Amino acid sequence: MSPTLSLFYFLSFLTVLSALMVVFARSPIHSVLYLILTFFCLSGHYILLNAQFLAAVNIIVYAGAIMVLFLFVIMFLNMKKEDEESKTNLTKVAAVIVAGTLGVILVGAFRKSQVGTYNPYAHDSQVGMVESLGHMLFREYLLPFELISILFLVAMTGAIMLGKREVGERHF
Amino acid sequence: MNTTYLPSDFLPIVVQFGLAAGFIVLTMIVTHRIGPSRKSKMKDDPFECGIEVKGDARTPISVKYFLVAILFVLFDVEVIFMYPWAVNFQNLGMLGFIEMLVFMALLLSGFYYIIRKGVLEWEQ
Amino acid sequence: MYPIVLLSVLGIVVLFLGFMKSKSVLLPATLLFLVLALASNFIDWNQGKVLYFYEMLAVNNLTLAFNAIVLVSAFMIVAMTRGFQDQEEAQPAEYYGIMLFSLVGAFMIIGYEHLIMLFVGIEILSVSMYILTGSDKSNLRSNEAALKYFLMGAFATGIMLFGIALLYGATGSFNLTDIQSYVSIQGRGVSYILYAGLLLLLIGMLFKVSAAPFHFWTPDVYDGAPTIFTTFMSTIVKTAGFAAIFRLLSHSFTPIYSFWWITLAAITVLTLLVGNIIAVYQNSFKRMLAYSSISHAGYLLIAVTSLSPQTENAILFYSLAYSIATISAFGVLMLVSKKKALEGQVDESYAAFNGLAAQNPLLAFVLAVSMLSLAGIPLTAGFWGKFFVFGSAVERGLVWMLVVAVLMSAVGIYYYFRAIIAAYLKEGDIGKIRIAPFYRIILVVATAMTILFGLAPGIFEKLL
Repeated sequence: MSPTLSLFYFLSFLTVLSALMVVFARSPIHSVLYLILTFFCLSGHYILLNAQFLAAVNIIVYAGAIMVLFLFVIMFLNMKKEDEESKTNLTKVAAVIVAGTLGVILVGAFRKSQVGTYNPYAHDSQVGMVESLGHMLFREYLLPFELISILFLVAMTGAIMLGKREVGERHF
Repeated sequence: MNTTYLPSDFLPIVVQFGLAAGFIVLTMIVTHRIGPSRKSKMKDDPFECGIEVKGDARTPISVKYFLVAILFVLFDVEVIFMYPWAVNFQNLGMLGFIEMLVFMALLLSGFYYIIRKGVLEWEQ
Repeated sequence: MYPIVLLSVLGIVVLFLGFMKSKSVLLPATLLFLVLALASNFIDWNQGKVLYFYEMLAVNNLTLAFNAIVLVSAFMIVAMTRGFQDQEEAQPAEYYGIMLFSLVGAFMIIGYEHLIMLFVGIEILSVSMYILTGSDKSNLRSNEAALKYFLMGAFATGIMLFGIALLYGATGSFNLTDIQSYVSIQGRGVSYILYAGLLLLLIGMLFKVSAAPFHFWTPDVYDGAPTIFTTFMSTIVKTAGFAAIFRLLSHSFTPIYSFWWITLAAITVLTLLVGNIIAVYQNSFKRMLAYSSISHAGYLLIAVTSLSPQTENAILFYSLAYSIATISAFGVLMLVSKKKALEGQVDESYAAFNGLAAQNPLLAFVLAVSMLSLAGIPLTAGFWGKFFVFGSAVERGLVWMLVVAVLMSAVGIYYYFRAIIAAYLKEGDIGKIRIAPFYRIILVVATAMTILFGLAPGIFEKLL
């Protein structure tokens, strides 16, 4: 096995493990920390794909900023009460069946299909660099790029509309 | 200047990550090992300026912090879009400049809206 | 393409108009902007298929017609808000601004040519809807509905994104035309990943139009949201969502029809059964309309499943008929429940309509026509909508599905007629309800359109 391949397997293992720990961790704070670990592992994958910009952005935005929001939300919620057993066994069984079916379908689809035959001579290793990304983003993807700002505006006004307390209201 | 980058160029960074993590783990283990460890109820109490502890650390916080955090994330993402633009600035020419102007104008009008709404004024 | 640009800018203008002293300018300004958008929509009329911005957006007469339906519905709904003058805590500038922005999202998913446009469009549309659902901040049920909708919607978006990624993995392109050429070259030999991706993408989109078994959020959200925004959700999101589903399937995936029609047929039948049968057991009129919107998703899905040459006309006509009828039904409900709220009781059940006809013949008539149209009784637009939909199913030979659909329409008659019976035959003490003149015009126009299209459905086809 080449070092890249073994690194890939190691990273994938770590990613899946930490993602599972996000779900299984008891304390929500631990879940968030594991999620940060997951994001770091994903950034590792980006670097293996030679997409450095995405790797950096992933850490700055997701592991940095969005996780702070997650922590804020956890602080808002009252976590003292221990009412975890709200899920009935029926829901659990149904969830396992649905997720299992989806898993089987996906695994079956992946096993039966051949994807991405890779040609080392025609392959341009620099395709994920920030220069070519910028070229794509500001030429072909011009319209979605501009419309992203509308999405931001909606989120902004929504956050202010729902979050801003009026004069006289309690702040928490 | 090196113009092609490969994942293997990140090896030094990985080594640095490993060293940093290793240093932290090592110092944590060593400090726990070499120092004496005495435990009592008084010693394990959280210390609050000599005053006895009251209540809980998990008190509700003002939603203003959250609002500022959300707005920060939005503008953070906006600034990130400027990086690939700046790298290609000469290449994209006038059209790219106008594109970014439109994008910035849309978002800065959002910023102006935030200021007019008084979200950033803390004492209200 | 012009309405997208126009409404993006005008939405911001509306937001800033909110800083003016007088709030009364907002409503006429928003209505004017919608009319402008409608006018600009037809600049591209009869140009054939035009692609904009590096093949991101496609414009043809069909997408323009869908845009027009969305705009007309939005115009009626905005007109019915009456500037939110009767609510003290309302923030009309934000509401109107977000409504205009959400229309941008709707146009994107109506005319997308590239899957990223679909994704960004659905995000804009959904995020706006989450916010509008929770806009009644002091109402706990509105908050709960918004949170539920947001969590479920975020999952659906995630599933959809995964599907898009798999489609890209199989075909190597996000472009609908490229995907189409890949699929038609490969035929049934396409990569299995494409099947998985298509399925996941469809699940995500079917969630947005609330087809069973992805409908569980619908009753709570429609019930909890302020009624005006429920109207917005159940008309505009549904029309745009079905335009998007139809575009995806008819444009790119016709060669593998034999693969996806079974899945879609099962979902269709399930949606019809769930929507109609559960609606029977509802006591709240608003909740019944939520289930009725699920059942109408089922009828629209019949047209999509059969995918015959008639389908696009059927979907277009059906969504127009459904939107108009829903808007007038909710319009009457809003007036009645507001009257009840002034008397100190929040009432959105059937019983709220008891004795409506005695003092408010106009409202009772509007309600009756909209109910008849939703039930699909002849001489209303809803009948022809169902007729066209069933016609396209016959063309494809899906007779068994038709039997289910007709049976379920019969079930539908029961719960729609309950409202009419309450309004005309039951005793009740609703005083005279004062209707603002503009509101009255909207209700009358909507009813007139329902009857007009019911008498002469050909008018509509001539327009196209």
